[in-house]
Amino acid sequence: MSETLPNPDLVVALPRLRRYARVLTGDVHRADDLVQDTLARAWEKRRLWRAGSDLRAWLFTIMHNIHVNQFSMRQREYAQTSLDADDSAAAGWEIAVRATQSDRVELSETLATIAKLPVEQREVLMLAAVEELRYEEISTVLGVPIGTVMSRLSRAREKLRRMMGESASTLKVVR
Amino acid sequence: MAVLDEELHAYADNQLSRGRAEEVAAAIAREPALAARVAEIRRQNAQLRDAFDPWLAEPLPRKLLAAASGVCRRSQWQPIALAVAASLLFGIGLGWIGRGEVLQRAGTPVTFEREAALTHALYAADPNRPVEIWAAEEKRMVSWLSKRLAFPLHAPDLNSVGFALVGGRLVAGNEKPGALFMYENADKQRISLFVRKDAENARETGFRYAYENGVGVFYWIDDACGYAITGRIDRGQLLAIARIVYGQLAAAEAAAPKQ
Repeated sequence: MSETLPNPDLVVALPRLRRYARVLTGDVHRADDLVQDTLARAWEKRRLWRAGSDLRAWLFTIMHNIHVNQFSMRQREYAQTSLDADDSAAAGWEIAVRATQSDRVELSETLATIAKLPVEQREVLMLAAVEELRYEEISTVLGVPIGTVMSRLSRAREKLRRMMGESASTLKVVR
Repeated sequence: MAVLDEELHAYADNQLSRGRAEEVAAAIAREPALAARVAEIRRQNAQLRDAFDPWLAEPLPRKLLAAASGVCRRSQWQPIALAVAASLLFGIGLGWIGRGEVLQRAGTPVTFEREAALTHALYAADPNRPVEIWAAEEKRMVSWLSKRLAFPLHAPDLNSVGFALVGGRLVAGNEKPGALFMYENADKQRISLFVRKDAENARETGFRYAYENGVGVFYWIDDACGYAITGRIDRGQLLAIARIVYGQLAAAEAAAPKQ
């Protein structure tokens, strides 16, 4: 059995880890610190990774746990934190938006709206809709029962839908 | 048969078992309200991916690259790791909106064939999610991609040469998006057809061959639309497949009603 992580895969996962970190922290710099902590932990625990299983989900699990621990250490109200409460954090999202060339207004509106969701809803949306993890994997990543994953996902989608509907009729997605 | 709300989510996310998915699909066909819910969830998913995917193309800080490559300089991680990393990242940046920038930074012109090669390299290497929509939903996939690209697309049938359709995905472009159809044979080799129509493809070409980073590309540009058949397979085999694709697309076009 392999006792090491498949190294190139770890590098391949890097952009996704950064993205997830940014969704969790809402801040580019804190996100990169979180990625670094996650990679360090992954190296320490590399023997626990089961070869053949989804490396991405395993890394997200580690990242989620580090993030939750760091947050409780700071005595923040983890589930209640939304990015609009903190302008400097919200700015972290904008940097990424600037990098995109097309559909800029629509994308930045989408990002700004998501930033207003509580972190638990942001992360479940991220994992289900963007990363397309299986619900069972999401349940493992977040350390909650699958029923909780489903109810969070359902609430997050409903809330986002309402907020997007409110923000402007121009936000209709072109299909 | 009642459909639970969470089953609608699971259906929209392609996570239901095959049998149950068929039952839900039948219920959706009967109930427009259910269909609208599923469409809404999928539209939202696409919207989220459109918003977040560009982040993947951002340049990575050196310290993270080093950390991912195993900073602890133990024997198992050779210096080649970084080289591998660099080339993989190069490919990764590619699938996304920012990839034009990535390519230009590398000092290479962004040509259609180069883009096809790198897009293929990026997605064909992904064991779990090479496509956005699987071949099981081929019809829906083709009509969705046709809508997004704003012209009718066809997924050629390559079963005669042993390649089955895996599925397809939308690929970001500078000006307009492109579509990628992925195929796989019994040996798990993958080839793809990349299609994109935009002003950058103003030039017209006959069949051409390009070779980029170990990936062969047969491509042609026709009426501002570029087509590329791409894969890590033998050049002769690739050409034979490109001819089949060309023939099928020409036949489909001839059969299409004139606009």
